[in-house]
Amino acid sequence: MRQRPWLGPAVTLVVAVALWFYPNLVDAAGWPIFYLLFAYTVFFWVTQASSWNLFTGFSGYFSFGQGAFYGVGVYALGVLVVKRGWPLLPTFVVGGLLASVLGLFIGLVVFRLRRLRGEIFALMTLAVAFVLGAVARISPTIDGGQGIPLSSVPTPDALGTHPQMIFRLGLITAVLAVVVVQVVQNSRLGWGLFSIRDDEDVAETLGVPTFRFKMIALGLTSFLAGLSGAVHALQVSYVTIEEVFNIRVPLMVILMSILGGTRHWMGPVLGALVVHTMSDRLNRAGLEAVSDIIVGALLILMIVAIKEGLYLRMRERPLVTAIGAAVGVAAGFVLGPLDSAVTHLAYTLLGAVLGAMVPVGRRRRPQSGAPATQTIEEVVGG
Amino acid sequence: MADLRFEDLVKHFGGVHALDGVSGHVDDGEILGLVGPNGSGKSTLINVLSGHYEADSGRVVLDGEDITDRPAHRIIEMGLARTYQIPRPFSTMTALENVSVPLMFGAEPKSPGEAREAAREWLEFVGLEAYADEPITSLNLHQLKYLELARALAARPRILFLDEVLSGLNPAEVNESIEMVRRIHDSGITIVIVEHLVRVVTSLATRIMVLDRGKVIADGDPGEVMRLPEVVTAYLGKRAQSA
Repeated sequence: MRQRPWLGPAVTLVVAVALWFYPNLVDAAGWPIFYLLFAYTVFFWVTQASSWNLFTGFSGYFSFGQGAFYGVGVYALGVLVVKRGWPLLPTFVVGGLLASVLGLFIGLVVFRLRRLRGEIFALMTLAVAFVLGAVARISPTIDGGQGIPLSSVPTPDALGTHPQMIFRLGLITAVLAVVVVQVVQNSRLGWGLFSIRDDEDVAETLGVPTFRFKMIALGLTSFLAGLSGAVHALQVSYVTIEEVFNIRVPLMVILMSILGGTRHWMGPVLGALVVHTMSDRLNRAGLEAVSDIIVGALLILMIVAIKEGLYLRMRERPLVTAIGAAVGVAAGFVLGPLDSAVTHLAYTLLGAVLGAMVPVGRRRRPQSGAPATQTIEEVVGG
Repeated sequence: MADLRFEDLVKHFGGVHALDGVSGHVDDGEILGLVGPNGSGKSTLINVLSGHYEADSGRVVLDGEDITDRPAHRIIEMGLARTYQIPRPFSTMTALENVSVPLMFGAEPKSPGEAREAAREWLEFVGLEAYADEPITSLNLHQLKYLELARALAARPRILFLDEVLSGLNPAEVNESIEMVRRIHDSGITIVIVEHLVRVVTSLATRIMVLDRGKVIADGDPGEVMRLPEVVTAYLGKRAQSA
């Protein structure tokens, strides 16, 4: 919100360049390949959550369509590359574009009708995923109920070994998603979307082209989700309807974004990192069965305790957050033996989150002022 | 210059004729008072003219151009802005951000950064600069109404529709707001004001249009119009007039 719109994208790109060489570090240090796959999955969720947040977090239109957009991307790769023999890289983009077509179609239908707002939009996006799943199951050209094996997809050597390539593709899509959201957040489009979220009628009467902005945002959201889905197809060896067109992706991105905070691009990034790290560690600890329950309960607690989202709360309370993180780091050493750096990361994040949850004091109010005496000419001239 | 005419505007809500063939005009530089009992269609007329509602039939013409079917965001761009009876600020934004939104759109859109700077001056104009970076929850009703004014003025309108800017205010605030309306008018903006307080309207307006049950029943000089028998009847009922 400050006057440095270029800062966010610049920092993101610097971080991205540094991360690009992370696979070389993992290789040189002899760390397990899991470190790459874990990071890839974080990138995947960062992309998906950021993409969801661009439309829903900014405009307030609740969408369950993430699963559908993601699914279109996954199946675009499965069908076009495996069954039709298309080259890999262009198909990523095609996956995003196909998802975009779907998103824009939904928008065209729903936003044209002024009465269909809020709940209807949410239900419609939810229904689309189920319809797409059913269509894919029936149609032999798409899936036909058999699933599509993806392990035989030829991949380019330029990006390194298979895990290194997955990591780097995930990094590229995540950086693209984050930079797009950063640019939107500080643009007219972003402010138009925020005003739509607060009061769409007022936004329109103040000059915001609400229909166009919602369509642009939905188009970007679905493109990023589809692109990320197409990349993710390389990570799974076998695509099935049940695993793609289910409710998991939309629910996860909603939780991640709301936990991290929907108003700032960093919210979904942080939310994705925290949620995925926690659930990954719980699964590792052999708690698969109850992992969803624990993560779910934690999330409800955090969301109720921190309404503005984790990121804004942490920014407001940097000291307690840092102390919490430090305690987490220390706890990691004390509670050891640490099987993995990811466990240590989990402790650190948990410490920071708990630190940020320490109650905040009230801010003071300003003095009331009387109307100034200048004329409109002076305001306009000045 | 602004020349706004509307012909035969009809707007139904279910079976209710909120506007039942309303025609009229807004002349450049005037303060037009729209009065009438509750439910007479004053607010609906503003909502239709500002593009907030679509009329069922009829025409709105600005400077000879038919703007009836224009979306609201195009209408404000052409110089018609409005405020809401119950203030509707963007609730997750600060006062400054609220005012900066209209500055980013319209005929001369500014970047978000430029819009923030310009918005500060509009906040100063209505005396809310101390609240620039505050959440709107720290503003009282009077201040929220001023914020509505600042937001509408920031769009640089030629005609400003004010929907009950005085309702809910205490006498001191009413006086302050009347001064504010005069200041806005003095700077060359044509004003259409919907108001319940008849005495205020008659002193402020240069012309008055009286609506009753969706129809125009009188139009003319403020002093004379309010004494017409049909206007008295509309306000007070038949018995009061004969008494």
